[in-house]
Amino acid sequence: MRRISELALGIRLSVGGGRSGWVRLALIAVGVGLGVTMLLVAASIPTVLDARTERADARSVTWDQQLTPGEPTMLTQEVKSSFRDAPVVGLLLQPEHDDAPLPPGVPRQLEPGDLVVSPALGDLLASDNGAALRDRWGDRVVGTIGDEGLTGPDELRFYLGTDQLTAGSEYVDRIQSFGGADGSSAGLGPVLLLLALVGMVVLLLPVAIFISTAVRFGSENRDRRLAALRLVGADVGMTRRIAAGETLAGAAGGLAVGTLLFLAIGRLAAYAVPAELSFYPEDLRPAPVLAALTVVLVPATTVLVTLSALKQVLVEPLGVVRRGSERRRRFWWRLVVPVVGLALLTPLIDGLDTSPGSQVMVVAGLILVLVGVALILPWLVEATVHRLNGCSVAWDLAVRRLQLDSGTAVRSVSGIAVSVAGLIAMQGLVATIGELSPWSQADTSTFQATVLDIDPEADSAETWERELSRAEGVTRVGLLTSMWARPTPATAGQPASSDETLIDIGTCEVLAQEAQLDSCDDGDAFVVAPDGTTTPASGSVYLLGTGQDTRWTLPASAEVVGPAPGTVGSMGGMSARIMVTPGALGGIDVEPEGMTVYVALDPAVLDAADHMRTAAAQVDPAAYESPIAPERTTLILGNVQSALLVGTVALLVLIGASMLVNVIEQLRERRQLLAVLVAFGTRRRTLGASVLFQVAIPVVLGLAIAVVTGSVLALALQAAVDAPLAFDWLTVGVTSGAAALMVLLTTAAGLPLLWHLTRPGGLRSE
Amino acid sequence: MPTEPLLTAESLHLSFGATTALDSASVQVHAGEILALMGPSGSGKSTLLHCLAGILHPDLGRVTYAGRDLTAMHDDERSALRRTEFGFVFQFGQLVPELTCLENVALPLRLGGAPRRAALRSAAAWLERLEVSDVAGKRPGQASGGQGQRVAVARALVTRPRVVFADEPTGALDTLNGERVMQLFVAAARETGAAVVLVTHEPRVAAYSDHEAVVRDGRVRAREHVR
Repeated sequence: MRRISELALGIRLSVGGGRSGWVRLALIAVGVGLGVTMLLVAASIPTVLDARTERADARSVTWDQQLTPGEPTMLTQEVKSSFRDAPVVGLLLQPEHDDAPLPPGVPRQLEPGDLVVSPALGDLLASDNGAALRDRWGDRVVGTIGDEGLTGPDELRFYLGTDQLTAGSEYVDRIQSFGGADGSSAGLGPVLLLLALVGMVVLLLPVAIFISTAVRFGSENRDRRLAALRLVGADVGMTRRIAAGETLAGAAGGLAVGTLLFLAIGRLAAYAVPAELSFYPEDLRPAPVLAALTVVLVPATTVLVTLSALKQVLVEPLGVVRRGSERRRRFWWRLVVPVVGLALLTPLIDGLDTSPGSQVMVVAGLILVLVGVALILPWLVEATVHRLNGCSVAWDLAVRRLQLDSGTAVRSVSGIAVSVAGLIAMQGLVATIGELSPWSQADTSTFQATVLDIDPEADSAETWERELSRAEGVTRVGLLTSMWARPTPATAGQPASSDETLIDIGTCEVLAQEAQLDSCDDGDAFVVAPDGTTTPASGSVYLLGTGQDTRWTLPASAEVVGPAPGTVGSMGGMSARIMVTPGALGGIDVEPEGMTVYVALDPAVLDAADHMRTAAAQVDPAAYESPIAPERTTLILGNVQSALLVGTVALLVLIGASMLVNVIEQLRERRQLLAVLVAFGTRRRTLGASVLFQVAIPVVLGLAIAVVTGSVLALALQAAVDAPLAFDWLTVGVTSGAAALMVLLTTAAGLPLLWHLTRPGGLRSE
Repeated sequence: MPTEPLLTAESLHLSFGATTALDSASVQVHAGEILALMGPSGSGKSTLLHCLAGILHPDLGRVTYAGRDLTAMHDDERSALRRTEFGFVFQFGQLVPELTCLENVALPLRLGGAPRRAALRSAAAWLERLEVSDVAGKRPGQASGGQGQRVAVARALVTRPRVVFADEPTGALDTLNGERVMQLFVAAARETGAAVVLVTHEPRVAAYSDHEAVVRDGRVRAREHVR
């Protein structure tokens, strides 16, 4: 009971003290609160992902071969399209029975041509922006998909009624119900996974440092208060419990602020993420265990930080004595932590292993390396300032002050250093990641997009050529028809080969998209052989249709060439294929099994790609269009990068605020000394410069160590994903510049108080 | 006056680095006695007071309070003594700025485990006795220097201590306020029967004491009867 009363007294002390007391409490609450918000957001990620998976699973389609048309079944085919950079996914629905199943969020069966769209897609279709999308799947929008049928509010999705689906087609599914396993909710790829892991560590570690800094706001005043309590009989245990009570008040305030911010930001975040990652605000719920951990661990951590800070001081009835100011910081044990971290990251050099054990190692390694920054920095600052020689009066004042106590300044700077190190590592990875995508090497100088017709008909070639050429922004169209063929025996009675070979037919311009052709004329044939593959023997005879007159012989003149960079063939796993120009067919009437339409787009036409997609969907809603060099991965990376930048800027602002509080506290504490200095005739300019140096020296050292650590981490991460190793000077410059700006702003914000403390009226009272 | 002293310092030695603050200082304080420790700045009078109160630990010598060796006590025991048997009035009051004057006075009682309401009631009575009820709800920073010192006196006496240690209690006050504080302080102390160890360099303040002891170069040179 008595202990509770002491904790309560601590809480009472924390809310007392008038305006300055409330400001201190508010700063702690905001600081801790921002940390709590980020922790709650992180704790909600599993729930959001689970909810998205559940929603996706509930509408998934699983092929069941046992079903027959008499049952209440539905034929479906998935359609993948996009608008600008955002994916648009739909499902063609063809009910075979009145009681055929309905997808979640769709209230009734659709007639052929009926379109039901997600609210976001509906808005887009109705907006001026969506002009190139309109009529892609018809114009009969008869309803909106309910929330239960979508993974998030920004998802672009549709269901289209049709009567064109044929049971038995490779791409058509017959189903009796929606739901079940969904292959589309597969996990992140290794690159994105690594980025997500680094991002979490980079954002959460400074949060932890910031929380520990925030709870020390006004610690000098608190120490004096505790001394007064010691005088009236509080023993050491009591003072600790009272201090814990004071901190708990801030932590409780922080939890409240954090929860409110989480509720507010959560709603915004749901709409701020890219459409493909959007989620419903109600799905943003922290996982109960993680939320409970946050609620318990944050106050516990803040109390531990306070008690640990109290160990550095001896609170006596006559005042506070700082312990161990003469004890120099040791380097060796501080170095152990990042070295162990780097050791844990060593496996990255051989590439990222996505197994859970490896992920834990990577996260632990990153945390240790970044924590190492926070550990080495105090030693670095102390060691450096003890070696700094005298210069100007302002410099001397700042250096002497830091020599006396650099801990307070370093605590704030650790947050910046960790943040900048992490950011440089992330940016370094993101900047080179674009090089990673094999598609990025594809030649886009002639054609920029393709349309894949997986079930072409006899007149498809003419139809595609005619319809796509009409689309706004399409300047040229090239066709590549494909089929699989087995070499037939040259003479009757011999067994046919079991190996099928892909045969592509197209003009030289089109074939050049797929193979490295030195020269090509109509009438030429080529064998495209990726490394290590067996090439078909010249003279092999293939049937390119059903009739005997469709026999075609691979000429001996067929040149063996390599696949073009950025094509499927160049990425391995493909066997050799044959490419033929129309002139080499000798008039054979081929029966294509697939058709790829290459499309050249006019970059000057807005949304040319979308006009092309709309034209393609009008020919065949199931046609698959894609750019020749998709930028999907880099787009997601860009989003990650943006989120990281926003997070880092927010952290820098917070850390700047904590540095400002430190500066103001130090000025207040030293007002007597300032008065004496001014009485001596010291210029205000000199005092201002001393404040600047005092803030800048630890920051410069912090940035130096951050740049080194961040660059080493970036190189390790680049090695992990086989990206070209490169040093990202731009990021280093921008982040360092932002931090330097923060130093200047912090100093500038502290100057009014300095002027106030050193004005003549203020001096008289001292 | 009882023959057995309540508080005794025997041959105290205390150095701060190369500076000797106390050099075989000895003094006795009897129950209910008001003893003024006088001497020039740096003579060691405040250090002696701090040793008598158990705040500082002498390098050599012994301090006994009611037969108990203060110098052998654990910090927690000495803290308990400060809470229950000792009171303090220092030059700047040493009030907790975050608490109201009333809460400041109630603080020693609450630290001793008294219920909040009873502690506040008791504190209010002491504020009234020292004629500063009007600042009860204000924080120390909102009260004048004289009012603050009277609040500090109330806080020192609220637990009805057996000894009150006062280090230059009027040092930061003008003459008029200083006189008023001393009058109220001494009257209240005598009423509760508390002994007072008063450090001052002002004869005017020392005049309120029963005895004066002069401290010079860390030694108690003389002890005189005042009244």
